[in-house]
Amino acid sequence: MRLAGSPGVPVMIPVTAAPAVPAVTFGAGRRPESRTQIQMAEFDGPLALLLSLIEARQLDVLTVPLGALADAYLDALGGLEADRLANVSSFVAIASQLILIKSRAMLPRRTDPSDPTALADEGTDPEAELRARLVIYRAHRDAGLRLAELAIQRIGLFRREPAAAHAAAVAGVRPSDAPTLDPRLLVGALARLGAIAPPPEPPPEVLGRIITLTERADIIRAALRDVPTFVLQDLLAGVRDRVVIAITFLAMLELMKRREIVVEQATPWGPIVARATTAEERTSAGVERAVAGMPLDETLESFA
Amino acid sequence: MSEPLEPIVPAPSELTEVALEALLFVAEKPLSRREIATLAGTDRATVDARLGDLEVSLRARGIRLIVDGDRVELATAPEGGALVARYVGADAVRLSPASLETLAIVAYRQPVTKSAVERIRGVDSDYTIRTLLHRRFVVELGRSQAPGRPFLYGTGFEFLERFGLTSLDELPPLDGDVAARLAEEGGEPIIEPLVTADEAPR
Repeated sequence: MRLAGSPGVPVMIPVTAAPAVPAVTFGAGRRPESRTQIQMAEFDGPLALLLSLIEARQLDVLTVPLGALADAYLDALGGLEADRLANVSSFVAIASQLILIKSRAMLPRRTDPSDPTALADEGTDPEAELRARLVIYRAHRDAGLRLAELAIQRIGLFRREPAAAHAAAVAGVRPSDAPTLDPRLLVGALARLGAIAPPPEPPPEVLGRIITLTERADIIRAALRDVPTFVLQDLLAGVRDRVVIAITFLAMLELMKRREIVVEQATPWGPIVARATTAEERTSAGVERAVAGMPLDETLESFA
Repeated sequence: MSEPLEPIVPAPSELTEVALEALLFVAEKPLSRREIATLAGTDRATVDARLGDLEVSLRARGIRLIVDGDRVELATAPEGGALVARYVGADAVRLSPASLETLAIVAYRQPVTKSAVERIRGVDSDYTIRTLLHRRFVVELGRSQAPGRPFLYGTGFEFLERFGLTSLDELPPLDGDVAARLAEEGGEPIIEPLVTADEAPR
């Protein structure tokens, strides 16, 4: 049976197992508070820092006067790096609690049991509250360290690789003992496949729409075959394409030049009425009949 | 036109310890007791009894029954971890002190909300929890009935496997006074489970 061989299989090594530099050390300062040197990078939270200050002094968290640690704690806060400002508020909250504890310890307190207002004024004891938090935090911190030791000792439990288990269940076979394939075979196969494959099709060609003068002129001629006159606006009624309208208008002008039609517009922007020229009109204008059968000039050079 | 082929499914038989061990041997994921009962065509009590028998039988073996709530799987015995790790070439995994204490809080207090973790640690733990979720040491169990219905977190199979535990009962004991206090407070009730026993990640 082959067991899980993924690179994520654990061997737990706690970071705290062998720190290069102790998190809390004491230097040569005059007062104990100023002598404390803190490696702030070691501390993720304020309770961890405060607990380390207590433990570095080999004091008992259950009995140490927490207010006495306020100065050392504030000194340590001064070493906070700028990139850890996101957690500053939590450090400051504990600092304010320590200052409160220290100030309450310095001020006289009413402890007369006969005075019913004495205890009410005291409120919740911040020192007891912080001490309780420290005890709970320490319990879980130590539990985490014990878990890390356990992981080092046992390294971990290993289960079957899911894919291998599934394959074994479905096929009931062992992995093949045959030698692995030569990768050059794959390269050769790919090269041959490239030779067999047909060349890629060229991208489709997009052709522009072509509207000719001849087409539009034929439409005008056809209209005049049925009726003696027509109004251009009526002929183009329903046509939305501006190009079609423009080409039709140009075709109409071309037919006018060839004296095939006569166009009249009584008023500006009024109806454009077209009719076919008579034989007499063409003769008097000197236009030969053969002109009607000649192709129109699609280049529009005559308009230039 | 020929009749479509019916899949061949063996008739359910009485669940024996041998059959149960064979089933867990080939399972590619932890199985819930309900799944086993359905597969074996038997009731939940029988599954519980056979699992108990199997657990006892495996105590002196290199394979152990791993139990996480309703789900079970087979894994190597903790005593064989070092040898197996050498065989599979296990890589070292590092956990920061912040991750370790957060994981301990989740393990001992589950189901627990992020705010409860932060109350104990005294510092924002969003990043740490997300890291543990990503590494599957911690899983989302459901939502709390507290305002905002925050997620409730617990440990999954990955945690048990990585720390060499066959069940949460093997967690090292917490400080006596603290454990008693936490027991008085109790855990957060889950009102909306996010993962069923069948769907939960490893």
